[in-house]
Amino acid sequence: MNVRNEELSPLGKYTEGMPWNAVEKIIMERRSVRSFRKDPLPDSMIERILEAGRFAPSAGNCQPWRFIVVKSPEVLAAMERDAARFVKLLMFFLDYTRGGWLRRLLVRPIGKLFIRTRMNEFHPVPFSLMSKIGTGETHVFHNAPTLILMAEDRRGVSCPAMDIGICGQNMALTAHSLGAGSCWIGLIKLLMYMPWWKKRLGIKYPYRLEVCLAVGWQKPKADGIVPREVQIIEWFEGGLKDKPRYTKQGE
Amino acid sequence: MQKTTYSFFDRIRIPDYDTLKHNQAGNLNFDPALCRQCGVCIQLCPGGCLLTGTTRKMDLLSGKAKGGKYGVPHVATTRLGATLCVACFDCGAACPHGAISIKSNFNPGLHFKRLTQTNDMRYPKRY
Repeated sequence: MNVRNEELSPLGKYTEGMPWNAVEKIIMERRSVRSFRKDPLPDSMIERILEAGRFAPSAGNCQPWRFIVVKSPEVLAAMERDAARFVKLLMFFLDYTRGGWLRRLLVRPIGKLFIRTRMNEFHPVPFSLMSKIGTGETHVFHNAPTLILMAEDRRGVSCPAMDIGICGQNMALTAHSLGAGSCWIGLIKLLMYMPWWKKRLGIKYPYRLEVCLAVGWQKPKADGIVPREVQIIEWFEGGLKDKPRYTKQGE
Repeated sequence: MQKTTYSFFDRIRIPDYDTLKHNQAGNLNFDPALCRQCGVCIQLCPGGCLLTGTTRKMDLLSGKAKGGKYGVPHVATTRLGATLCVACFDCGAACPHGAISIKSNFNPGLHFKRLTQTNDMRYPKRY
């Protein structure tokens, strides 16, 4: 399914229905890689990836990011242990999807209340992921050899969180174009509930840490094209009072 | 074009995550004729939701599983019948034998329902 290098279109040209070019190939084939080799990327390669982050667009060119590269196996192991423990504690009180009927009866109201207060953090997807971490069936940081933490400067122009996203995506795509793998991890947020991690990583005002990028060599090779849901697009093309035209993107 | 409605009652109701009554859970087909039981998909599943009778994700990551044939995987289900699969298809992209296909996509219900995406799954199209 994946595009071979000889079949790529040249950059900087468009004709209808042409094969993917090199940039599109990387975008389409990038998968979040959650299984890494033990050996980290060479430092020069990490620096090359960070360089792509340094040249990301940001509102008002304010560059509201701070990069922290964690390579120490000792620190990574401590992060994994603390995050997993926190998830386990949380899921003991909230996870109504495991255990028997009695547990479901008792825990579900508490779980629902928490979900209501934090809709995004307890969306079904992260909830089931945390449920799996809680029962020890998957890792928080996927045993990645390197984490690039992206702390956000809250004094940035307009919406600094957006700039962090753009910057991180630049780095993720660069990593995949160099043959490495990357994965966004939002659960690093959990460490910010622990004062010792805030202190160790130096996260205090004006910084906020919400997301990090795990990078490393893919094992096994996981990049590939996948199908996604058809998206409904609205096109405003007529006059002010005209209804939009709907198309199905991808069908 | 028919648009998905999102009523006030949808908005205030949080679905039960573990039932098919509220959610459309993702699900996968494993073709036993094509599957060589290598375990790549189990190792790559983001949530550790794929398993065989003998092997789970953690066995493969920790090196407890010794190689050989692990058996045809299936998606783990909760007690009430929903799976935790979100149809990200990381498994299918990595499968060396093309044995995996998507049976249904993931569409949580009520408060979290998809509004601008249909349930059809399509590969990227070259416009």
